[in-house]
Amino acid sequence: MAPLEPWQKVLVDNEKFLPTDHGQIACVDCHDGAQSADKEIAHEGLIASPSSQPEKYCGGECHSEQAATYPFALHSTQQGYWTALDARGGEAPENHPALEEMFGNHCATCHTTCGECHVSQPKNVGGGFFTGHVFETTPPMTRSCTACHGSRVGNEFLGKNEGIAGDVHFREARMNCVKCHEGTDLHGTGTDEITAKANRYAGMESPKCVDCHAGAVPGGDDNPMHQVHGEKLSCQVCHSITYTSCDGCHVAISDTSGNPFFETEATYQTFLIGRNPIQSEERPYAYVPVRHVPAAADAYDFYGENLLPNFNALPTWSYSTPHNIQKNTPQNASCEACHGGDASIFLTADKVKPEELEANLSVIVETLPPMVTLEQMLNAPVMPASHVELISNSCLACHTEGIRNASVSPEDHAVYKDENCSGCHKLQQ
Amino acid sequence: MSKLKISILLIVALFALTACTSKSPAETAVGMDDPDVEAIAVAAASAVPVSNECLNCHTDKQRLIDTAMPVVVAEKESKGVG
Repeated sequence: MAPLEPWQKVLVDNEKFLPTDHGQIACVDCHDGAQSADKEIAHEGLIASPSSQPEKYCGGECHSEQAATYPFALHSTQQGYWTALDARGGEAPENHPALEEMFGNHCATCHTTCGECHVSQPKNVGGGFFTGHVFETTPPMTRSCTACHGSRVGNEFLGKNEGIAGDVHFREARMNCVKCHEGTDLHGTGTDEITAKANRYAGMESPKCVDCHAGAVPGGDDNPMHQVHGEKLSCQVCHSITYTSCDGCHVAISDTSGNPFFETEATYQTFLIGRNPIQSEERPYAYVPVRHVPAAADAYDFYGENLLPNFNALPTWSYSTPHNIQKNTPQNASCEACHGGDASIFLTADKVKPEELEANLSVIVETLPPMVTLEQMLNAPVMPASHVELISNSCLACHTEGIRNASVSPEDHAVYKDENCSGCHKLQQ
Repeated sequence: MSKLKISILLIVALFALTACTSKSPAETAVGMDDPDVEAIAVAAASAVPVSNECLNCHTDKQRLIDTAMPVVVAEKESKGVG
């Protein structure tokens, strides 16, 4: 995004701004400074970004709810970074000062104030009013959201990666980010450090595709794929397409300019299904798309040696929710796309760098999905209705040699070891 | 005679009392000789400035161009996708 000219950044549109609620407030009430025709005098004590103190300038009678939670929201805390840094940094408090210095130089510019979504462009893209200081309830997508979330989410959603379609929600419905990511998601719900989120995938899945596509829950519609795969696969496994991965981001301070800079080793397009490294009640999926994040064990060596001694604590192929959803994708075109013995779309060990194998043990797919056709699956013997209370992942506890009269799981089912039997053997109605 | 004196005194007293009544609002606005009145008028003027210097400048494109700090474009040293 091209930066604005200096005058454009601060030009107030009187006709549009003054009639608004914020236009009724005297400039100095929020920005301090002084009434003077002399710029230097007028700007003495100026607060350029009042919303960096949301409780003082945005709360009160107007936005008290948002001002109370926003200091603990991820856009404000950037806790997602620290959750990863702390995990990979391990129990090494002596490394913290160096990591904090690194963070301040390279990561903290992504800290976002209320104003950087609602009145001006984020400062890391140069800042400047959206519309002459008019406050926007809905942040303008390309000048706010994707100005920061651009190289992966933005490019995928808007279809800017060559030859790869944009997200159907944008392409067909012209939906913007906040259609799904509502205010409460963005303003946060935590009111202190304890209730604040650890990263964007912590806690409840929100937004959730089935909030709108209610029929896609198992049993919600007649689509056999939804019936079978419902909670085993995240929606993106079947409905996203090729997305961006990056390798090895290293940071340093320039010898010549003294400015912080970064360098990534590689950026490439992938679509790989891996095991879910953060499986939980809220995200029960066994498989999810995984994206290589630009983490590297020596990423911060400029600031000190071995600052990430516990690098293998987190996978470098991370749980991902690509923003390029399509109804029809190569992998949902047929059962054989996944159940045909083709490993190309699965994160198998051979696709992982040797030095990252240990970090990715929790996501690497060891056994490919068994060969099965839709016909076979739909004709599988049903589970007796009396088993309703027994449905679990421990079917083999009974269906093995010598247990009562239970039928024995066939030998060729050995490959299904990670599968939930009820995926094919539906409960008798 | 005494009735005439009393009547004259009453008329004089009436004039005197009329002269002591407050001035009309219009007269107050004009009369700035009283220091208290002047202070009140100054305070009112600063509460609602006739001219907002912030907006005078920040709505004037040319003035913003003329007074802007020179932009130093830093050489891009980062490489790759951020």
